[in-house]
Amino acid sequence: MNTLVVSMPPHLKTKRTTKHIMLDVVIALLPATVMGCVLFGLSALLTIAISVVAAVLSEYVYALLSHRVWKDHAYAKRFWKEFDFTSVVTGLLLALVIPASVPWYYPLLGSIFAIVVVKMLFGGTGKNIVNPAIAGRIFLFIGLAAVPSCRAAIIGTVFSAAPEVGNDIFTGATPLTNFLNPDFGASITQSNLTDLFFGFGVAGCIGETCKAALLLGYIYLVVRKVIKFWQPLLYIGVTGLFAVCLNGFDFSAFLPSILSGGLFLGAIFMATDYVTSPKSDLGNVIYYVALGLITAGLRKATGIEVVSFAIMLMNIIVPLIDTYVPRRAFGYRRQRKEVK
Amino acid sequence: MKAIQSKFVFHGVHIPDRKHFAKDVPVEDCAPADTLTVSLSQGIGKPSVPVVAVGDPVKQGQLIAKAGGAIGSAVHAPVSGTVKSVTDCAIVIENDKKYETAYMQPLSDPTPEQIKARIADAGIVGMGGAGFPTAVKLNPQDPVDTLVVNGAECEPYLTCDHRIMLEHTAEIAEGARLIAKSLGIATIFIGIEANKPDCIAAFEAFDFIQPVILKKQYPVGSEKHLIYACTGRKVPTGKLPAAVGCIVQNVATCLAVFEAVRSGKPLIERVLTVAGKAVKTPKNLRVRIGTPLDAVISACTLTEDAKKIICGGPMTGAALKELSRTVTKTTGGIVAMTADETDTDAPTPCLNCGKCADVCPMNLMPMNTAFYTAAGEYDMAAKKGGVLNCIECGACAYICPAHRPLIQAIRTAKAEIRKGGNK
Repeated sequence: MNTLVVSMPPHLKTKRTTKHIMLDVVIALLPATVMGCVLFGLSALLTIAISVVAAVLSEYVYALLSHRVWKDHAYAKRFWKEFDFTSVVTGLLLALVIPASVPWYYPLLGSIFAIVVVKMLFGGTGKNIVNPAIAGRIFLFIGLAAVPSCRAAIIGTVFSAAPEVGNDIFTGATPLTNFLNPDFGASITQSNLTDLFFGFGVAGCIGETCKAALLLGYIYLVVRKVIKFWQPLLYIGVTGLFAVCLNGFDFSAFLPSILSGGLFLGAIFMATDYVTSPKSDLGNVIYYVALGLITAGLRKATGIEVVSFAIMLMNIIVPLIDTYVPRRAFGYRRQRKEVK
Repeated sequence: MKAIQSKFVFHGVHIPDRKHFAKDVPVEDCAPADTLTVSLSQGIGKPSVPVVAVGDPVKQGQLIAKAGGAIGSAVHAPVSGTVKSVTDCAIVIENDKKYETAYMQPLSDPTPEQIKARIADAGIVGMGGAGFPTAVKLNPQDPVDTLVVNGAECEPYLTCDHRIMLEHTAEIAEGARLIAKSLGIATIFIGIEANKPDCIAAFEAFDFIQPVILKKQYPVGSEKHLIYACTGRKVPTGKLPAAVGCIVQNVATCLAVFEAVRSGKPLIERVLTVAGKAVKTPKNLRVRIGTPLDAVISACTLTEDAKKIICGGPMTGAALKELSRTVTKTTGGIVAMTADETDTDAPTPCLNCGKCADVCPMNLMPMNTAFYTAAGEYDMAAKKGGVLNCIECGACAYICPAHRPLIQAIRTAKAEIRKGGNK
């Protein structure tokens, strides 16, 4: 019996599949995860664990229910064999953008919402319109905003930046919130900036405080060619420069505005999400510049951290960018319009 | 002339070239088969029209089928013997093992018209893979001033062009000069990929041909991109290379032209590579047109674990279910791959990562083509995906992390658009 396989060319294919790329993203997130656990302790680890497990399990359960194969072991086996780690990335990212002090059921609810509503109901991997982790965070932020402790935990009020061990919401206000407070602006010093960069003594979400760890992840992603090096830089740079403009061309505002809040995490790991970013290079330039402008502008206008809102907003606009930004073929020449 | 480095860049993909199989194996002759089935469609164009009947004795190099139309090529007997059968698609010749030749008169100092006529008489087609009749190419619509010889051989595994460039350097250079003479061209470039430094050095010996070192990148051997890499001219979309004053010929074609003009030998054999992990002794073989593929492969011994056998290169060639085909003028190689070399995994959902667009040498949007083709909207596939400009190099499908069948979608869209009247 002839066992030759027949298919369309090309017969060579890259070994880097979706699974490898997603594993690379998980690896790139590890420094930030570890630093989050170091800075915020056991509760951070617990939040991360709950979030990741909830994300993976909700994808699994959704797949079982939607295929009506509750007791089919063959299907379960195939599911785990084809498991592409996108839900691990979603769960991990979600945990990194919520504070460690939240109750245990926050990451659980957020993960389930992100996976089931934002990803699976839209058609699974590659079909979601907005980034699931961002949507999960915003769901927690808006959906649970009525709970006072949550509101304080996630967006923060004007709050002392010094962590107090034993306080339930010690990861309260991000330095951004403080920075936007007029009293705080004057107190930015060199040592503040170093703390902001390494995340020591800075309040905020689990993954976003240590910029050094995030930069390590950025370098890894660029080296592994998961993202293009200029994409996060463009976002961060435009945000910083526009913040400078909005603050009356005061260049001392540049570093604090890019180092505070979730900008690094959002720019490196969330805005660059393949599914919800434009396909062409020109489209990407528009996308990242718009992200930067929206982030800096809304921060100035609202006084709260808006990176996640900016990204979600631009995610929704991405199909428009893809539709209206043309790509010229190699050798394209503009057709002269015939004179009538 | 001293080789120059190409400084023009375009999108492309880096593919492990895996040319180690037969890179250092000299070309050897493949034993002629007992019966040869010569296809009447040797490349693009109308099938050739047989001029022999069943039972006729033929000599090696004798015309057995003439060009079937304006775009078509003549076919010659690869061996001496008797015609066993003549059908609409093939002529079968029984080999009498005498190898009596009936070649044309060698031309020592031909005029341009004589060269063109000889190339048509010898049935030469583009031997890089497309098989466009060379004689038709030599009557361009627009004036041409540059000949680009294609020695890129960017397909992985294949080394036949590499070997002939080393073993027949002078013949190829002379063949290129003959083609240039037939069109009154002064400038000759030869583009060679940087992974063949020995070939580049060999062509530096000639003062009328300019070697260009091409960056190792797939698909630098594509006609439009080779012209761009060598001359910096971009062929406009939907136009032929002559629109920018260029003409491209493969090195194997140049060799065939040399043989046809200088020794009167028509195109009856070609060099091809047999390589891949499922081949015990990879070789470069000089094979007569019409030799069955299984005879070629058995000369190199196929192992048991062959998973895919490909006629042509692994990026653009066709996978074979059985080895009943025969060698044609455009067969550049036979690649037998084991399961770990090729990929038979099922595709996973598209991530919209845009890697296919990043590597597309034509700057198209393959993911849009696939998307609209799946929806049956072929007009949109042309508008948003630019499928009509696609050269089907396969770079997009190579890089796709989800292993989407992009070439399949592209070919479907092209076929459907043609069916509905090419708008």
